[in-house]
Amino acid sequence: MSPKLPELLIGLAVSLLRPAPPEAGGDYAAGRVGLMASLLVLASQEAERGAAARIWENAAIAELLGDTASPPLQATWSELDARNVDLRRALIALHISAEDRGDRELQTRILGLYEAMAHARRLELPG
Amino acid sequence: MSLADSLAAYLTRVRGTPTTVENLARISGGASRETYRFDAVNGSDRVGLILRRDPRGSLIDTDRRVEFLAIASFEGKDVAAPRALWLEEEGAELERPFFIMSRVDGGEAAGPFTPDAYGAHAQTIGERFFSIMGKIAREPLARLPLAQAAFAPAPEHCWRRELDHWTGVIDADESHPQPIVRAAIRRLRRDPPPPPARIAAVHGDLRSGNFLHDGAGQILAVLDWEMAHLGDPLEDLAWAMDPLWSRPGDPRVSGMVTPREALEIWRAASGLEIDAKALDWWRLFASVKGQAIWTSAAKAWADGGMTEPILAFSGWFTARAQDQILSRRLADLGPL
Repeated sequence: MSPKLPELLIGLAVSLLRPAPPEAGGDYAAGRVGLMASLLVLASQEAERGAAARIWENAAIAELLGDTASPPLQATWSELDARNVDLRRALIALHISAEDRGDRELQTRILGLYEAMAHARRLELPG
Repeated sequence: MSLADSLAAYLTRVRGTPTTVENLARISGGASRETYRFDAVNGSDRVGLILRRDPRGSLIDTDRRVEFLAIASFEGKDVAAPRALWLEEEGAELERPFFIMSRVDGGEAAGPFTPDAYGAHAQTIGERFFSIMGKIAREPLARLPLAQAAFAPAPEHCWRRELDHWTGVIDADESHPQPIVRAAIRRLRRDPPPPPARIAAVHGDLRSGNFLHDGAGQILAVLDWEMAHLGDPLEDLAWAMDPLWSRPGDPRVSGMVTPREALEIWRAASGLEIDAKALDWWRLFASVKGQAIWTSAAKAWADGGMTEPILAFSGWFTARAQDQILSRRLADLGPL
């Protein structure tokens, strides 16, 4: 998914360091700071849940695909995301195949997985 | 030369009278153009104006001429459009293309994710909002400046044109596979909607947060016309009804009125009937279009040096919220 957490944090740092032109102060600057604060709150949620969501999603898709390869015991976020790219592409192909074959049972399982994936990756605004 | 000085020189030329610029300030006004408020001053004459300038990187790549003509199309039409004043498509004087329109003071735009943004006035604002949307749909195209610049698809091709466009945006800007929105796109292609009774002007982003209200129930100005086009008028209705614009648990459309009320108000104002199958199609499409915009935001954020928080927010929080909406809708619809 994009943006990734490390990129996001770097982006926030760059945004804070970048001098604003005189016409971009006042309410506009205050709005930017508020938005950056919201992003930091969301980043804390991603830091807490993001790795678990990736590990779970990769395992769930692999199971649906019948991929029995054992996942690595240790992985960085980048490695989890790289594996997720492959798995998501395979999941899309499997879903298309199920639609073309009229396999309603498999489609239903995939649609249920989509809901669970979206829920696992959720971000919640404070307030 | 500062932006204020450049702007003053430009206004002096086009107004034919010495003009200075005061109180120039950037404001939040859509993520696809830089928006500034300022006063154009000549002696005791002071006029409040808005500058919309193309950014170096943008949430969505839109045609500023179409936006300008869309605003011009609805001046004086009881839909709270600002007044379009000057368009510079070359834009050399301000480094990038821009246009200037009238400024409406005394209003506020609610954040689309603000809880109960309209408070006690939600019902009144909602009635006016969906009435404005219906009036935009009702306006005959032949008299609209927008029709000079925007392509008018055949009614039976509206859905394909929009779906192709936004699928293309996802194809171009996606950095990570998105199985949920891809499934929705396939479903939309397999089961197209019936054509509209007629082609209409479509605002393209008419929703909570994209209008100014006075805090007492009046809508003062409809904003962000940058995605205006000609097409199926149900597209606007479906976009405003996307659950993204309502807080979880709030059954009202965009936190304003119930879905039934929204449809009744729109029907009365537009003079158009609502085909339930078509509206369902456009509602699923709305979530696809949303996901395309958020996908584009993530790319624009990365390409632009990761310095615009609104793009990061759209490409991250909003994209994930849209995935939740889409996945629930697909599960409700069931297998093909």
